Amino acid sequence: MKVEQITLEKKYHGAVEHWRRHNFKDYETLLDQWERYFPSDERFCLCAKMELGTSDVVQVGDHQGEKKRREPDQLSAEEAGHLLAIIRAQASTEFGSIQQHAGTLERADDDQDRFWVLRVMAEELRHGYQMLHLLLSKDWSHVSGGVTGEQMVEEILSMQTGNHVLDAFNLDYDSFIDNITFAAIIDRVGKYQLTMQRVCAYKPMADSMPPMLREEAFHLAAGVIPMRRWAQRAAQGDPFVTMTAVQHAINKWLPRGLEMFGDERGGEKNLKFGFKDLKNREAQDQYVEEVRKMIRDINLRFLRARFPAYTTERADQMLAELESSRETHHGVRHEDLLRMPDRRFFRRKGESAFGMAGVDGDVFTDVEEYLRYLAKNLNEGYVLSRDMKHYAEALRGVAAGTLTVKDAIMKMPKLKRVGGTCPCSKGVRWVMEGSAADRADTAATS
Amino acid sequence: MPDTQARTRVRPLDELDISAVVRIDERISGAYRPEIWEQRVGFYLRRDPGASQVAEADGKVVGFMLGDLRAGEFGLEEPSGWIERFGIDPDHRGRDLGRLMFDAMVAHFKAGGARTVRTLVDRNDAAVSGFLRALGLSPSPLEALEMRLDGREPR
Repeated sequence: MKVEQITLEKKYHGAVEHWRRHNFKDYETLLDQWERYFPSDERFCLCAKMELGTSDVVQVGDHQGEKKRREPDQLSAEEAGHLLAIIRAQASTEFGSIQQHAGTLERADDDQDRFWVLRVMAEELRHGYQMLHLLLSKDWSHVSGGVTGEQMVEEILSMQTGNHVLDAFNLDYDSFIDNITFAAIIDRVGKYQLTMQRVCAYKPMADSMPPMLREEAFHLAAGVIPMRRWAQRAAQGDPFVTMTAVQHAINKWLPRGLEMFGDERGGEKNLKFGFKDLKNREAQDQYVEEVRKMIRDINLRFLRARFPAYTTERADQMLAELESSRETHHGVRHEDLLRMPDRRFFRRKGESAFGMAGVDGDVFTDVEEYLRYLAKNLNEGYVLSRDMKHYAEALRGVAAGTLTVKDAIMKMPKLKRVGGTCPCSKGVRWVMEGSAADRADTAATS
Repeated sequence: MPDTQARTRVRPLDELDISAVVRIDERISGAYRPEIWEQRVGFYLRRDPGASQVAEADGKVVGFMLGDLRAGEFGLEEPSGWIERFGIDPDHRGRDLGRLMFDAMVAHFKAGGARTVRTLVDRNDAAVSGFLRALGLSPSPLEALEMRLDGREPR
């Protein structure tokens, strides 16, 4: 568990600091209040952390048993190109989630929840920084199509909610319920990706994973624990917290989470190249079981709060009865509990893309009826959005036969916003060492 | 009736173990205290994920041991492993699950540079004290001192 901490070259470190001043305005508040909310925890460090003493041998795939690669040019061009895409996507998700969290963070009704999310955001910033280190510390020019490290960083730091690499990072949050549900559902996919990449045949990538995974453990807790408490409040009659609102948030995020694993029929290359140790469907299967367990635990928390005299065994029994009968028991309806959405529900990628399955797996044949069903099963703030508009257009095209599923997947427009990313410079702001801007930035952070 | 042939394994604690920890504590203490364990599990997962352990029998969590690696406590600058809370479902005791979890925690502490494992125990609790001594812990030169502030007699 020995870790080497690395700081990026000043130019790049400064670019990340500049980015966070515009996209993560509460960063300083977090650092100021750190001791209050995380007493005696190690202070946050904006740096790359490389685990020392990890395996030097490729553990899976065609090169199993060989020495791990330490330079991109020790990988074949196809392998290096594939890995570069993974690193860029990973970097995009880390910075993207901060932009999403920032939108609704202030709506948290509990300061602890808010500061937990702030810590999650800071650690995502560090994870993004880690990926930039992987891009910048080695020469990828032979597979980057002439794109320099500087340009890759500029591209990543220029992304906004709407033009990130993965769909889950292109959806705005509608309320603080999304901050929490995202941590419980989407960060869980992140945990799987990081866990699979611990074996990566490219050693700098593998060495990056353990420190990120250790931080990810808290990110999941920052989602699940508030959800458990909300279930308690809902059960006790708090009018501002309902299981329906939580369910609708799960309905929004779970399909995007499932798609983050990639097409269920794929993942061979990752295994073959030794970059991950599970294929897409295998990882997704494990993930689904975890989410199912999470939902069951939250339901039990709800039932114990509603019926304080019940034992665990009685609550277990009641939950089983409600799930099998789908009826009402002592005033609690089946729909008052959370449900695990069917894997085919609201999908736009993968083998169920543009199918029309409901939360419980019931299949619709009429597209308009399905869209009305979605409107009833997603939060209002999300239904009236550009994302839903584009989805509905594509779905109608598929249903009418004017669009193939493959074309619909490709056609799904990104929610690109017009204009530069940085309010002050219309682009990533490169701060040159010793310049007036550098002196101003240094003064701003000291 | 517990299955004595159940397959067991020890693994690091995660956030989905909260319900199991609450259940085990309830079986031991008779009190249902989800808020306390949500807070404690959150604490250990952010302080030192990988340190705290759970024991599973046939896939069901039946024991937990919580702690972390830290330095600077009570003037002890060297990193030490601290074991703070543990519990084993009464139906699954006597199967060395406590030792298995302890060994996993010690391995984690050693990897983090600790040379000592520490805990505090109520000397009136013979069962817990005996369990810890059986693991190899012994009285420390450090002495736990306290003073009642409510006017009551020391325990």
